[in-house]
Amino acid sequence: MGEEDVKYVEITYRGIFQKRLAKYVAEGLVYMARDMGKSAVSFGRYGDSPERNGVPAKYYVAVGNVSEEDLIGYSTRVEPEYVDVIAVLDDTLLKGVESWAWQGVQPINLKLRKDGAMIVTSRKPMEEMVKLTPSKDFQWTLGKLNWDRSFSGLWAFNDDTTMERVWGAIAKVRPDIVDIQHVVSYVKSHKKDKLNERLKAVEEAYEGLVIKTMNPGEGVEFKYAPPRLLTWQEMMEGTAIPAVPRGGRNEQFKRGTTKTERPTVDFDACIKCDLCWVYCPDECFDKTPDGYYDIAYDYCVGCGICAEVCPVKNCIVMVDEKRLPDYTRPYGMWKANKVEYKKWLQNARAEVRERPIVPGLGR
Amino acid sequence: MTENELEKEERMYKSIIKTIKQAPLEEFYTSGHRTCQGCESALLMRYLAKISGERTIVVGATGCMYVANTTYYTTSWVVPWVHTQLGGSGGAALGTAAALRALMRKGKIKEEPINVIVFCGDLGCADMGLSGVSNAMTYDYNLLIILYDNESSANTDIQETSMTPYGAQTSFSRPGTARRIMKRRWKKNVVPMIIAGHRNVRYAATTSPAYPLDTLNKIKKALSAGGPTFIHSLDPCPKGWDYDPMYSHELGTLAVETGIWPLYEYIDGKIVYNEPTKGIVEGRIKRKPVREYLEKQGRFSHFVEEDYDYFQKMVDEMYEKWEIPGVMPIRSVELARK
Repeated sequence: MGEEDVKYVEITYRGIFQKRLAKYVAEGLVYMARDMGKSAVSFGRYGDSPERNGVPAKYYVAVGNVSEEDLIGYSTRVEPEYVDVIAVLDDTLLKGVESWAWQGVQPINLKLRKDGAMIVTSRKPMEEMVKLTPSKDFQWTLGKLNWDRSFSGLWAFNDDTTMERVWGAIAKVRPDIVDIQHVVSYVKSHKKDKLNERLKAVEEAYEGLVIKTMNPGEGVEFKYAPPRLLTWQEMMEGTAIPAVPRGGRNEQFKRGTTKTERPTVDFDACIKCDLCWVYCPDECFDKTPDGYYDIAYDYCVGCGICAEVCPVKNCIVMVDEKRLPDYTRPYGMWKANKVEYKKWLQNARAEVRERPIVPGLGR
Repeated sequence: MTENELEKEERMYKSIIKTIKQAPLEEFYTSGHRTCQGCESALLMRYLAKISGERTIVVGATGCMYVANTTYYTTSWVVPWVHTQLGGSGGAALGTAAALRALMRKGKIKEEPINVIVFCGDLGCADMGLSGVSNAMTYDYNLLIILYDNESSANTDIQETSMTPYGAQTSFSRPGTARRIMKRRWKKNVVPMIIAGHRNVRYAATTSPAYPLDTLNKIKKALSAGGPTFIHSLDPCPKGWDYDPMYSHELGTLAVETGIWPLYEYIDGKIVYNEPTKGIVEGRIKRKPVREYLEKQGRFSHFVEEDYDYFQKMVDEMYEKWEIPGVMPIRSVELARK
């Protein structure tokens, strides 16, 4: 019995906004696996700490027929070598995951093992999700949990049955890790309030999970280029870091994967007030010769301050990150063809959702 | 006032930026830092680097702005930046400024003005590093210490510091059923402490990145004033204050408009109020109720009516009872003169 018998569940979530949710999902899985007579532990990815709002982060559950001490031993590292199930709590994470500069932008299913499964919380149809999902060179299962992403603040837990749904979905795709009977018995024994609602959520997820078998090569090609980490001999004296050249940006850490929404600009409505540029905490706005501001989407984290301070209605509007495939800058598009840009803009803004944030103690 | 002083003052005021269009376009603290969405402290870093320009050395004490700005062997600083220990901001400021002066005196580097800016968080400056900061303020070296105050130890997931406001929820002060208010101490006033205790400080100010022009000018004035200077900035923190990142700017302005965070500067013994605080103190603008500011943040979501009332009473006192409104809790200067 060695580590190859250990099964890992990876929970990929948005830092802070889903911190509690991810922790509770993992906690439940540990109790269920223990009920099934296996040993289990859960641990966060050490490198994700300190967590920042929106930064992609991971939580793991290790389940196996080895002793708990061995499992704890396996978990004392940054992350496991492979995972059997990935639960993605926000579908914009499909576009890539980058927590720190030394990881580079990783594909969402980087560590997935052959015949593994990935469950994504999304309202999008399956076909559109496949267009965002990186391909693998073996067969695996993609599951879609038809549910909104659940966000809350650091102090709050948004108890909207997302947790129960993720358990139900995992039980469906991998009954060898947790089965549905143990999910139900765990919910019955550990949750006192809203019991019927919770059990219904488990059942709904279990029955209603949309499953697709992904063939080798199916999905989008995702070129993952991990940054080469310098050895200590190569580093400068005193581990000094070369400064950013004037007029440049930090090329090694483009943190666009932090955002769930991005600002779109209607240049025809812009009054060149400069406010978006002034208030951007991530220095994403580049002044153009004619006084407009172009946006560097690969550095934008989607905080929404620019849209909030913009004095013109519908000049800057935040749209869902999934709706736009790449980081093409808007100014060039608008300059090239203003009519086309207007159409593109209308299409991008066709679906504007309210931001799902719950502040306070679950308010 | 001597002619030399007048000249200096004139130069200081001529350099003031009048509109945001005059703000320099070039960034010296640029994209690619690992801060939260809507981080106002990152905005402060951006402003300070922007206005101080290329001949600047920035020293950062441990905290959010240190960890966020150096993600594995990369940086977002264009100007030289160095990390110092959590409580070491004062010593590092002094050492850097003294080293520059010595090198220039010995002719090892060209004699030119080089800005030394040290930033430290509320734990690094107002709690741990206060003695060091105080020490630095007694010398005559040209240095600027900036306290970026997000009212908690935000890097390590929000622990209480002495700068956390009354009643706010942190990891160390979770409201319970038996005791609702776990943080019962009132926030420290650091700028009055600095100006009252250090006679050779010529410039000190409070600011907030929600007022960019004000912030840029204050940093500029501090750097041109000479000697040790101090700026205290209140930076809304979406992670610890628990609000949607898009409201960072709104909360910054509300803190000032409710009177909780007065904006003022101390120039050569004079207190000058800025932005809405000027109107509030002169009685032209009515303060907004503190409730508007508190209700928007999750960390105050356990507040009940009496807590709001208490908070309002404490803020009212700042403007109605204090001898220098909003600055110092001294009430009896007139009495002492009689």
